[in-house]
Amino acid sequence: MSERCSSSDKGMFEAIVSSNRQIGQRFYRLILEFSGDGAIAFVNFQPGQFAELDLSGTALPSAEAIPEDLHDAAERKILLRRPFSFTDVTTNRDKTFAELLYCVAGPATLRMTTLSAGDSVSVIGPLGNGFSVPDDKKIALLVTGGMGVPPLLHLAKVLTADLHATMIEVIAFAGAKTETELPFEGRLDEISQQLGFSIPEFAMYGIESLLATDDGSAGYHGFITDCLAERLGQSDLASEDIVIYSCGPEVMLAKVAEIAKDKNIDCQVSMERRMACGIGLCQSCAVECRLNGSNETVYKMCCKDGPVFDSREVIF
Amino acid sequence: MEKTVDISVDFAGIRLANPVFTASGTCGYADELADFMDVNCLGGFITKSITLKPREGNATPRIVETDSGMLNAIGLANIGLDKFIEEKLPILEKMTAAVFVNVAGQTIDEYVAVAQRLSSEKAIAGFELNISCPNVKKGGISFGTEPEQVKEITSAVKEAVGQKVLMVKLSPTVTDISVIARAAVEAGADALSLVNTFTAMVVDIETRKPVLANRTGGLSGPAIKPIAVHLVNKVYNEVAKSRGIPVLGVGGIRTASDAIEFIIAGASAVGIGTANFIEPGCTAKIVEDIKKYCDRKEIANIKELTGSLL
Repeated sequence: MSERCSSSDKGMFEAIVSSNRQIGQRFYRLILEFSGDGAIAFVNFQPGQFAELDLSGTALPSAEAIPEDLHDAAERKILLRRPFSFTDVTTNRDKTFAELLYCVAGPATLRMTTLSAGDSVSVIGPLGNGFSVPDDKKIALLVTGGMGVPPLLHLAKVLTADLHATMIEVIAFAGAKTETELPFEGRLDEISQQLGFSIPEFAMYGIESLLATDDGSAGYHGFITDCLAERLGQSDLASEDIVIYSCGPEVMLAKVAEIAKDKNIDCQVSMERRMACGIGLCQSCAVECRLNGSNETVYKMCCKDGPVFDSREVIF
Repeated sequence: MEKTVDISVDFAGIRLANPVFTASGTCGYADELADFMDVNCLGGFITKSITLKPREGNATPRIVETDSGMLNAIGLANIGLDKFIEEKLPILEKMTAAVFVNVAGQTIDEYVAVAQRLSSEKAIAGFELNISCPNVKKGGISFGTEPEQVKEITSAVKEAVGQKVLMVKLSPTVTDISVIARAAVEAGADALSLVNTFTAMVVDIETRKPVLANRTGGLSGPAIKPIAVHLVNKVYNEVAKSRGIPVLGVGGIRTASDAIEFIIAGASAVGIGTANFIEPGCTAKIVEDIKKYCDRKEIANIKELTGSLL
């Protein structure tokens, strides 16, 4: 397996907002521009790594723009940074651009919606270990649930870039509770869907995608993990040729890990924990893991040891 | 003519380049912080709690943010004494800041064993006795709330630390903090640090369960600062001043202004905790800004400020 990517030149940088665009009822895409040392630090940002944004000084939207279920949360003064992965990282001359896809879910992301072009944001990163890209796999399956999409979009781009042309096929599986919780900009037309391309964000990389919703409001009626199991059942590829990457709710990750284990497929999961710092100071983000494949358990830190873990290692 | 401000501090016989410490549990063992700042600009550095054996810590969630603060219930997760000596001590040896090792345990013997084993290490200036951790069932805070227990553990560890400085960290969750401070000083504490976090709870109203797996956690951050300033002032006036015992003021400090409040209230030095999580290099700026304040107020020596509350 190729080396895991982690950056040693992490630091605290000021980024400038280049755009902040609403793409759905609760979803936004934010592009941050880094220059100078920040541009150098983030140019090697790997899919699955993350950054910590300070949104404590960002203004709230006007009262009428605050969703009713967040009225109380909006009253809260925030203190800590918030961790985000990126959906894409690009460079242009001496600038690095990082794109975030976020969902308005609490007091910090609510504030984030008011960021506009030219605003400055303090960012710590790149942090953690991202997904590793093995050089001996023929097919990669990307499995996401709810807001687990961002790092897998970034990974989709990296996997389909010329650099990893040995990867013959990449398929994305995206699930959510209901259609409005799918963080994508619309869907492709019927013909594309019949060809297996449902999600424009994956189709742009030439990647097939399947949708599932718990309530059947879009795509398959049921869990996305059922789609994964079905697809694997149809596949005549050898287990050792497949790799699964997953990010999303822990209950989904547990199911993905179980499927991978049953079929003896390599699987990497991106974990999420409440973090105070993201840099290994606070020890908050413990993930219960097996110690070297034994029955002994050990807490690893999501921020420094993860957030991407081998699924066999994690105790769900 | 350029004015020279002396912000060095004599802290229980230890010469500190400046009065700024990083507080225990918020700065790891210095290696993580080094990515963001020159740790040598610190006056003092206090390690994460060390216990005799490694501790895995509590289940998650271990933290939750509150208004202008956060609750933590890490549960003294640490690598244990052996690994600390092997892996972390070499890093700390290179530091110019005065290094204090925060010591915790479940029994007095455990505290003594850790202190004794480290007492001859040149890299270590002193120890901070953690008798106020609210997040472990045995040990921790249970030692820090009864004056007799405080005396017993302080005198036992004092004997173990030899020539090193012994600082005792006090819990604010007591009826009268001065009673505890007095017990520690009478039993041989060379310095006091206060305050540790306040035991607190956040409830998830959807599930009706506490958010933290440990149910309760310790509240830290700007929310506790005014209470901490008051308690530092109280301990300074009632215990420390008359006995010449220095106080390390800790609790919600984010800026030099916050730090100076503590110093005026009676602290000889200050510890920065939660703020490290948000801005890992903030202590360097605090040191610089303290100098600027002294300059502006024409204070030649920061000692003049300690306990200068009118």
